[in-house]
Amino acid sequence: MKNHYYIIFAFLLSGILNISCSNDYESVPLEKITIDFAFDKNDSIGSKASWFLNDIYSKLPEGYNSIDGNLLDAATDDAISIDEGVTTISKLATGAYSSINLISQDMKWADYYAIIRATSIFVNNIDVVPVKDTLTSGLNAKYAWKSEARFLRAYSYFELIKRYGGVPLMGDKVRKLGENVELPRSSFEDCVNYIVSECDAIKDSIWTSPIEDPFINSHRPTVGTVLALKARTLLYAASPLFNGGNIDPTNVLTGYTNTTPDLAYWKKAADAAKELIDLNAYALIDSFQNVFTTQNNKEIIFFRQRGNNHGIEDANGPIGFMNNAHGNGKTNPTQELVDAFPMNNGKAISDPSSGYNPAKPYINRDSRLRKTIIYNGCLWLSATIQTYIGGANNPIITSQSTTTTTTKTSYYMRKFMGNWEKSTQYGNVSHDWVSFRYAEVLLNYAEAENEYAGPTESVYQALKDLRKRSKILAGTDNMYGLNSGLTQDEMREIIRNERRIELAFEEHRYWDIRRWKIAEQVCNKPLHGLRIIKTSGIFSYTTTEVFTPIFTEKMYLYPIIYSEVVKNSNMKQNPGWDINK
Amino acid sequence: MLHCFIRKCIIANFVMLMLAQVSYASSQNTTVVPSGIVSADQVVGKVLDSFGHPLAGVNISIRGKEGVVSTSNMLGTFIIDASTKSFLVFECPGYNVVEKHILKDRSLTVVMYETYLTKVNVEAVLYDTLSQEKRLGSISTVHTNQLTTTPGTLYLYALPGRLAGLYMQQTSGFRSSATTQNYNVDGFVGNIPISGTGVSSDNAEFAMRLRGQNPVTLIDGVQRDIYSLDPENIESISVLKDAMSTLLLGQRSSRGAISITTKRAEAGKPRISFTSQLGFQEPQGLQKPLSTYQYANLLNEARLNDGNTGLYYSADEVEKFKTGSDPYRYANVDWQNTILRDNAPLSRYNLNINGGTKTAKYSVSLNYTDQEGMFVNSDTNSYNTNSSLKRYLINADLSVDVTKNINVALQLFGRLQEGNQPGAGINTVVSDLLSTPNNAYPVTNPNKTWGGTSQRTYNLLSEVIGSGYIQDNSKDVMANIDLGYNLNDFVKGLSAKVKANLSIQSQNAISRVKRDLVYRLSEDYVKYTPYGSSNSQSNSFIPVSNSRYWFSQFQLRYDRQFGEHSLNAMLVADQRVVTLNYDLPGQTTNFSAKGSYNFKSKYFAEAAVNYSGYNRYMPGHQYGLFYAGGLGWELGKESFIKDNISWINQLKIRATYGKTGSGIDNSGYYIWRQTFSNDNDKAILGYMYPQGTSRSTGSGYREFDLANVNITWEKANKFDLGFDASLLNEKLMVTGDVYSDRYFDLLQTRGKSIALIGSTYSNENIGINRYQGAELSITYQNNYRDFNYFVTANFNLEQSKVLFNDEQYQPAKRLETTGKPVGMIFGYIADGFIQTKEEAGEAAFVAGYPLKPGDIKYKDLNSDGVIDDFDKAPIGSNKPLFYYGVTLGFNYKGFDFSTLLQGVENRTRYICNGDVDAGFRFGNNTFGQAYEQVLNRWTPETASTATYPRLTSNTNTNYSTSSFWMRSGDYFRLKNISLGYNLPYKIVHPIGLAGIKVFVSGQNIFTQAAYDLIDPEVAVNAYPLQRVLNVGINIRL
Repeated sequence: MKNHYYIIFAFLLSGILNISCSNDYESVPLEKITIDFAFDKNDSIGSKASWFLNDIYSKLPEGYNSIDGNLLDAATDDAISIDEGVTTISKLATGAYSSINLISQDMKWADYYAIIRATSIFVNNIDVVPVKDTLTSGLNAKYAWKSEARFLRAYSYFELIKRYGGVPLMGDKVRKLGENVELPRSSFEDCVNYIVSECDAIKDSIWTSPIEDPFINSHRPTVGTVLALKARTLLYAASPLFNGGNIDPTNVLTGYTNTTPDLAYWKKAADAAKELIDLNAYALIDSFQNVFTTQNNKEIIFFRQRGNNHGIEDANGPIGFMNNAHGNGKTNPTQELVDAFPMNNGKAISDPSSGYNPAKPYINRDSRLRKTIIYNGCLWLSATIQTYIGGANNPIITSQSTTTTTTKTSYYMRKFMGNWEKSTQYGNVSHDWVSFRYAEVLLNYAEAENEYAGPTESVYQALKDLRKRSKILAGTDNMYGLNSGLTQDEMREIIRNERRIELAFEEHRYWDIRRWKIAEQVCNKPLHGLRIIKTSGIFSYTTTEVFTPIFTEKMYLYPIIYSEVVKNSNMKQNPGWDINK
Repeated sequence: MLHCFIRKCIIANFVMLMLAQVSYASSQNTTVVPSGIVSADQVVGKVLDSFGHPLAGVNISIRGKEGVVSTSNMLGTFIIDASTKSFLVFECPGYNVVEKHILKDRSLTVVMYETYLTKVNVEAVLYDTLSQEKRLGSISTVHTNQLTTTPGTLYLYALPGRLAGLYMQQTSGFRSSATTQNYNVDGFVGNIPISGTGVSSDNAEFAMRLRGQNPVTLIDGVQRDIYSLDPENIESISVLKDAMSTLLLGQRSSRGAISITTKRAEAGKPRISFTSQLGFQEPQGLQKPLSTYQYANLLNEARLNDGNTGLYYSADEVEKFKTGSDPYRYANVDWQNTILRDNAPLSRYNLNINGGTKTAKYSVSLNYTDQEGMFVNSDTNSYNTNSSLKRYLINADLSVDVTKNINVALQLFGRLQEGNQPGAGINTVVSDLLSTPNNAYPVTNPNKTWGGTSQRTYNLLSEVIGSGYIQDNSKDVMANIDLGYNLNDFVKGLSAKVKANLSIQSQNAISRVKRDLVYRLSEDYVKYTPYGSSNSQSNSFIPVSNSRYWFSQFQLRYDRQFGEHSLNAMLVADQRVVTLNYDLPGQTTNFSAKGSYNFKSKYFAEAAVNYSGYNRYMPGHQYGLFYAGGLGWELGKESFIKDNISWINQLKIRATYGKTGSGIDNSGYYIWRQTFSNDNDKAILGYMYPQGTSRSTGSGYREFDLANVNITWEKANKFDLGFDASLLNEKLMVTGDVYSDRYFDLLQTRGKSIALIGSTYSNENIGINRYQGAELSITYQNNYRDFNYFVTANFNLEQSKVLFNDEQYQPAKRLETTGKPVGMIFGYIADGFIQTKEEAGEAAFVAGYPLKPGDIKYKDLNSDGVIDDFDKAPIGSNKPLFYYGVTLGFNYKGFDFSTLLQGVENRTRYICNGDVDAGFRFGNNTFGQAYEQVLNRWTPETASTATYPRLTSNTNTNYSTSSFWMRSGDYFRLKNISLGYNLPYKIVHPIGLAGIKVFVSGQNIFTQAAYDLIDPEVAVNAYPLQRVLNVGINIRL
């Protein structure tokens, strides 16, 4: 009898203890995929690998209002922010940052290294995937993808060197937890050479320009994109900041160590741009303002997807409109930028023969002014813009205002927005961030060629092409307002000004004034806006100081995050940013 | 409403039926006084307990007359010789002393009530019970009486100040329920190894630290994070603090444990207790907003300070605020009065039935709790929008001796919780209440529409009563089987136990949210401009979470006394399987052995080992060995004390040491594997990339954080040294402990987390912290005649120190966290206000923020001319935290009274809140509320007396973390007070009851805080602390 109990008891016991032991589940979570699943030896479509690549694209910066809602250009002499008080953008504009007090919105050290890691993982592993698809050129798709990854990696290095100078080159190695990452910075020269060599290595094994089947592929880099990156990299490398004007002349991290400009660098930059131009795959499209809002137009070389929306309008559109037409007026272009636009005869407004009338300042100007800036009296959302003091779009702020801020310069930004002049509200429009476009390549070429060979015919031609597109009158001499026989220095100023207005707000000015080493001059004095008073229907204009940026020499390069320097005994800080000096 | 009414009716009917049934039964038993011959000098009587059951073994004596004693028998009756006018004294351990004056009536019925402080010989330890004299570990316990006087929804409300070693801070005055899909799944499966991330918990109100750690919770020996039990259903709550006491928890043994024992079946006639109580909750610590007139003037001042020219509010507008002449365009709304009610009810009903025979015992507890929130309701709604909690609990327990050697116990626990909140969400309403100025908009416009503006598109009252509601439900079922088998016949002293527990929790929510437009009246009072959006009521079902918990345990025990040698041994094997939502089950397995030995009950030794594993660590690295040992010496039994010092009844010195673990909850989800997420993963969003001009979605895979193949549990070496003394004929009990716990292999990011690697570093087992402290508990119970009184107090010191955290180079010692208390706050050192323009020009400032007079001046500690991170210094306290609780009270002739005083010293708190301390916070193109604090702002006129910096509505550095905003967090609370009266037996008996007790109690009655502009515990942006005044009745049969 007693034994029976034991048996029952033991039975119960084992039952209870066993219930939870059965293998109803996998032993590791299979939905958390591992690398051999992402790069699958049996995946002949390569779909999973392509998804990995997709993710890398999503890490690209989105541009536009990226500095806490402000354009990067609001930290240059082109614009200021509508925001009151001390803001991220004002800190960037006044150098109120240090290696421990970073402006993380643009000082994205770790973010670029994350792209570099991901691209290296892709490059190291894609070979095992038996992709069968080929491009029309006959290239296996996976090699095109691999080149895309290598482009994205080279592009990230470029974004790093323009901010920091030479940075650690990681090669193809992907490191695990515990592996040594106390790597030193490579020299600026090595970094430039690496980017260029990568561009050269992949340009023949990537998508051709223009891209095939843009319906699904337009976001991918092509041979044109690779050449554009190479051209831009070489242009930056040839620029005064790195070529002859190194802020720390013997420091190989901050630039080349030659003390006078080496024209060979300019030559390389010009040749690279020329190589792209000679592809004949790109062209300036007729409508300047549509470059940014029309998908897959001939001018776009590379872009970052941002979708159909009206975010740019919401952030930067003029205040004073209601409901769906409400804008926050973030970016206030300066009088300095407005004055940089020539008359439609191509002559600068400072030129006495230009025909500029200060009482009617916006009449007969370069059409790009109207496509770039919203000013008093222009048409917008079926209304005449009133940015005079007390006007609908520049009200005096009281508790009854629907806003507490208004334009500080009397201007708002127009560029990138849809053609809403005759609408009553904003709608969705393509707002991709165009990171490379043909106009820049022309300007890159003109600049490099002018530096290397002086104002040759091809330099003139590049400028004429741009001016022609912006509806500047060709004039009887067919020179679009350009004087013939300009000196190299005069031509340099023309090119720089052309670059300023053509590429305004496209995050070029911010870097251009650095690589030209003119930031200390242009960003160390008060910036201006316009006070417009309306008295009995007549406008009177007075310029007024609105903001004074600060720029010191060390700001030509960003500080490296303090923690990176402290944690890594091989890491050298940029000049002037050492904390424990 | 009807549904609710019916539900209440059913409960009430059920209770009444029970009462009727049993009262009939008990009224049959009317014989109180034993029959028999009673001589004139004799007094006869019967002693009853509070349930009217006979109380045997009561000592009866006559005051002032030694030698005459009697004892009540099994029927509770007694006979004693006593002359008229003498006083009979009734004494029984665990009961309050009763005296009776003998007058004419020579047949007595005496009811004795249990003492407030329960004294037990055998107390619950982990998976076992142990006589108090054998205990070597550090355990503090409270029993039902100390819990039930607290009106609250969680038993945690009763714990602050009650248990030595347990530090609690209330962080919210109301529950915060989960209403989003798959609630926080990554948090609770621990994808990110953060210590303290546990499963979804019903405790959103208290932060608990047991000797500095977040304790594990056990309900009747099963690890479950259940906090919303009714105190009436709880027999005892213990905190297990040292290594020995928690070792059987294996990989969860480091953090200490809170162990709850619910009321279990006891043999005897049915004991039925019904309690009904109603409390009124009143929010505490609400801030005082400025009048709109002051607000407008001060906002103008702030904007002028910022350099804006021109007034924001014209003089005319300011005047309108003053006179209130235009209440729709220049509103002045007291929002606190508008959306909060003065007090909100909290009602609780509880029924406990308990009894049985020696072989079969049962207990049933039913509980219903209904708590309403602080928001107003509207008659126009057919539904409730106020926050609320309705909870139904059942806990049934059946224990049967199937044969002489087999015991089967079955326990069923069920809990149903229904919560409600305004559609806008409690947190939104509370934070909007804090930030909406009185002049933002009128409550309603003349045409009865909601007031609002283009910037404030959601009316605060409409958030409360016009936004629909969100209901959340949670269902818990827990079934427990215990089998006990006595193998004494087989091997003497051998027995076995099996426990199986299944617990299921399901949470979901129903969202019926809507939103109305708000309108702004035009200046001419003609036109209304609509703002915001209008959404009709939604109806969506949200599956919040689903969890299953399995626990099974097998115990083999051996208890034997060999002469003067006493031996106990126990083998335990258990497994706990937790399945949360769709994640793989987490399996914990423990194989442990525990042995204890004592000689003559004087010398004690105890040791335990546990081989404990968890399946989410890398195979081959899943199991770890944990061990503990203890020694004790009962000095009180040594002849040099026993024979010489009569006032010492017990004096035991004890010590334990052990190595414990803290894994599982911080293991991460298989983080030893390098994995990639796909876009179905909810952990990371936004990395799908549109393809081509079609922008068709392109999926994405992303590498997760760096795999840590070495991830393992954290560990601790814990040492505890203590003593237990029982003095003065057991009237005075003193327990003291000192401890030193070294926690190591703590999970944290490595120091050289260099970003070049391009990924996020996972936590690794790196850090070392030490917690040291001392605890002292003193209890004194005595009586003067039948005035029984008691005091019990605990005093605690706690100090922590970071020993190692892989810190990288710091330019100054003060910036190092190593060597400082864990969690030290670092900030700038404030040095008064900038008084003049010259001073502003000279003082060091934070880059980008030039100083103005009235700004806080910070010390430039490294003298480099700028204020930055390197000018920070520790601004928290280095002193050990000191906290205490004192409970005292008395019992006299049916009255009982108790009160809890509780407080904390050496506590610092960071008080800066943008809304309250700065005011005029700018957001969505408008300015926020300001409070009376800002009246003490710096102005040139008040430069010498100002206590707040100059006003501003822009960003500036005055509200950076600095010593300016560090205040003493010391406080003292009259936490709880309770007064009860037991109606005399002669009144309750004729109506068929054993006892009626009426009582009043209160929580958070009075607070004395070093910094009293805000509540010392609950922050201003949380649901406020409530003062509760409570009345109730307890009926016993």
